[in-house]
Amino acid sequence: MDPETFRRDLEAWLDANDEELSPPYEGAGSMDEQIAHYSLVKRALYDSGFGRYGWPESVNGLGGSPLLRAIVGEEINLRGLADPSPWTMIEVLAPTVIDFARPEIAARLVPPFIRGDEMWCQGFSEPDAGSDLASISCRADKTDGGWAVSGQKIWTSFIQYARRCVLLVRTGEPGSAHRGITALLVDVDSPGVSYSPIETMHGRHDFAEVHYDEVFVPDERLIGEENGGWQVAMDILPYERSTTFWHRGALLHRRFSDLVAQVAASGDRSDTAARALGQAFQSLVAFRSRSRDTQHRLAGGQQLGVETSIDKILITSAELDLFKAVRDLLGGVVEFDDDLAAAMWRTDYLYSKAAPIYGGTAEIQRNIVARRLLDLGPES
Amino acid sequence: MSELVEAADLALLANGFEAAMAEAPDPGEADQALYDLGWADLLDAAPTQGAAIAFSALGKTNSAASLLDDVVAHALGMDISLALCVVFPAPHQTIPPACRHGNAVVVDGLVSARVESAATAVLASEAEGSVGLATIDATLLQGSAAGGVDPGGAFRRVTAEIPADAISLMANQGTWDSAVAAAQVALAHQLLGEARWMLAEARQHAIDRVQFGRAVASFQAIRHKLAESLVLIEGAESVAQGCLHDPDPLLAALAKSLAGQAALTTATHAQQVLAGIGFTAEHQFHRWMKRTLVIDTLFGSAGSLPIEIGNKLLSQDSAPRLIQL
Ligand SMILES: Cc1cc2nc3c(=O)[nH]c(=O)nc-3n(C[C@H](O)[C@H](O)[C@H](O)COP(=O)(O)OP(=O)(O)OC[C@H]3O[C@@H](n4cnc5c(N)ncnc54)[C@H](O)[C@@H]3O)c2cc1C
Repeated sequence: MDPETFRRDLEAWLDANDEELSPPYEGAGSMDEQIAHYSLVKRALYDSGFGRYGWPESVNGLGGSPLLRAIVGEEINLRGLADPSPWTMIEVLAPTVIDFARPEIAARLVPPFIRGDEMWCQGFSEPDAGSDLASISCRADKTDGGWAVSGQKIWTSFIQYARRCVLLVRTGEPGSAHRGITALLVDVDSPGVSYSPIETMHGRHDFAEVHYDEVFVPDERLIGEENGGWQVAMDILPYERSTTFWHRGALLHRRFSDLVAQVAASGDRSDTAARALGQAFQSLVAFRSRSRDTQHRLAGGQQLGVETSIDKILITSAELDLFKAVRDLLGGVVEFDDDLAAAMWRTDYLYSKAAPIYGGTAEIQRNIVARRLLDLGPES
Repeated sequence: MSELVEAADLALLANGFEAAMAEAPDPGEADQALYDLGWADLLDAAPTQGAAIAFSALGKTNSAASLLDDVVAHALGMDISLALCVVFPAPHQTIPPACRHGNAVVVDGLVSARVESAATAVLASEAEGSVGLATIDATLLQGSAAGGVDPGGAFRRVTAEIPADAISLMANQGTWDSAVAAAQVALAHQLLGEARWMLAEARQHAIDRVQFGRAVASFQAIRHKLAESLVLIEGAESVAQGCLHDPDPLLAALAKSLAGQAALTTATHAQQVLAGIGFTAEHQFHRWMKRTLVIDTLFGSAGSLPIEIGNKLLSQDSAPRLIQL
């Protein structure tokens, strides 16, 4: 399917179904409302066929280029129809599960995920293993027909809504670093899984602390090889930095355009205002341009790798520059105002502070660029 | 716009240009060498692509060839030649370099080294919101030696008052806006060439230079400066390359602004990594750094363009979606 035709058809369909697809709540809505509406939008897209393009037939997709998935998320975010965060999990986790899980498992479990019937989450970080992911200690030991998982994870986003979790566990000796890690697909409702949500500074319960106590995971839920989890995790990262970034870039574009309209309406024509807007736009365009190149490389069948750290640094700058401009130009909106629009600016402003932290911190990305792209040799 | 040149031919031309620029330090000789290599035909066949390879070669070699005269004259619809030069806007500006005042035209702009050998200069002037194009005798602008921070770059400032009877008005073919855009994209490639040279120089120095018993490249502060430079360069490069498929003047301004920011930041970081040796006249670094300062000011700078871009967005009440999948 040709991407331009696809986009036109999708736009027409979105126009025709605008009422059903628009959020029923005002402003940002509660998390429960957001998730419920996200599922509704996802299901409508799937049932109309648009949400099945770009996914392989083996998981009930309709095939075609991953560009088509980038386009769907872009249009949804430009129109503000659904919150992008839960959607992110699909684009991050599903491609890797399709590549590495047993085909019959992927064929059975992935379709309800991409249809929006259920959510999944990503259990990588631990209290003592953040940036140093290879040092995780949550263990899985061989038992009859599967694995017994025990240990702790933290910052697991959306687990309270999730049916399954892509979990990294230690299967090698303690200290076996990246050589002794395995990826498992765990049912969140398994006996022994417990979690307590953690409130974020933007007033939501985005993520949770999770305990695994002798949780049984059958053999068939192995993703990749035993002790091959590092390769699975490394496969996920470039996906995290291609389609999802394009989606988030569309959201940033919409918010930037809102900002321009609001500043224009205020009559502020100062050089200060123009410069802040110009700089934010410039960062956004640099990111979008780089990300477009990345989408085309992915669609062309190229293997994405460490060079996507550049995309990550660029989208982080774009997000930080945009919301800095919001705070500078909409005087006091972040600090004081309480109407719906102000509350959304405040939430988005605060959430932008997470951009240099999640998905590999700003410092870790620079380490990767220095080591892998500039070939500067080892750090001291 | 027909962009017909095959990638393999372009790579060959790029190598030829770089070699010619490296061998001919004098701007006049470099211009001649590039004309001999078919620069004029290339600009005609593939203006954006051709300018991209020629200007990134300019940046990498730090050559003072006056190709900007050709890019602007070509975009204004003129037949280019070594006898033709152009008056560019004043530093940091994108508006025409001249104003009509009654019978005279007051010029405040920049010219390249080519002004000294050219017969004719193209002069754009503004009156009551519209841009008029004219040619004047280049001798009217000659004689001001190239000074400033980068004499080797051979751009110089000209201020003059030209009487009306010395001006021949010409019919507008290309618009001023499209000439500005063409210049901005070309200069973006030059700035990125400058930046890549400075980054490569700093990278090699960091690997070779040992302090505290190890290469300074092993220190994270050094690594992150170089990494940030590369990220800015790659972001700007992507936008500059995107201009090949999209002639939008706003995208051209963004490309120039981003490239200026990338090159200026890279210059700062590279100099810090080079440290003492980078502050000498002996090391080549200062030539690239000074050229970067000069090229940044041409056709709007990293400092001035964000204001222009922001004002344009404010006048439209929204942000256009420039980059399409
Ligand atoms: C909103 C949000 C959602 C998240 N969702 C999930 C999720 O769903 N699943 C999941 O598994 N995780 C998730 N995370 C966790 C995230 O991946 C980690 O926070 C991140 O990897 C950093 O780990 P840390 O917080 O432990 O910081 P640390 O690793 O402790 O880092 C502390 C500081 O030290 C710096 N630092 C560390 N190592 C180096 C180094 N080698 N060189 C230079 N500086 C260094 C870091 O950059 C940082 O500034 C989420 C985080 C956020 C904020």
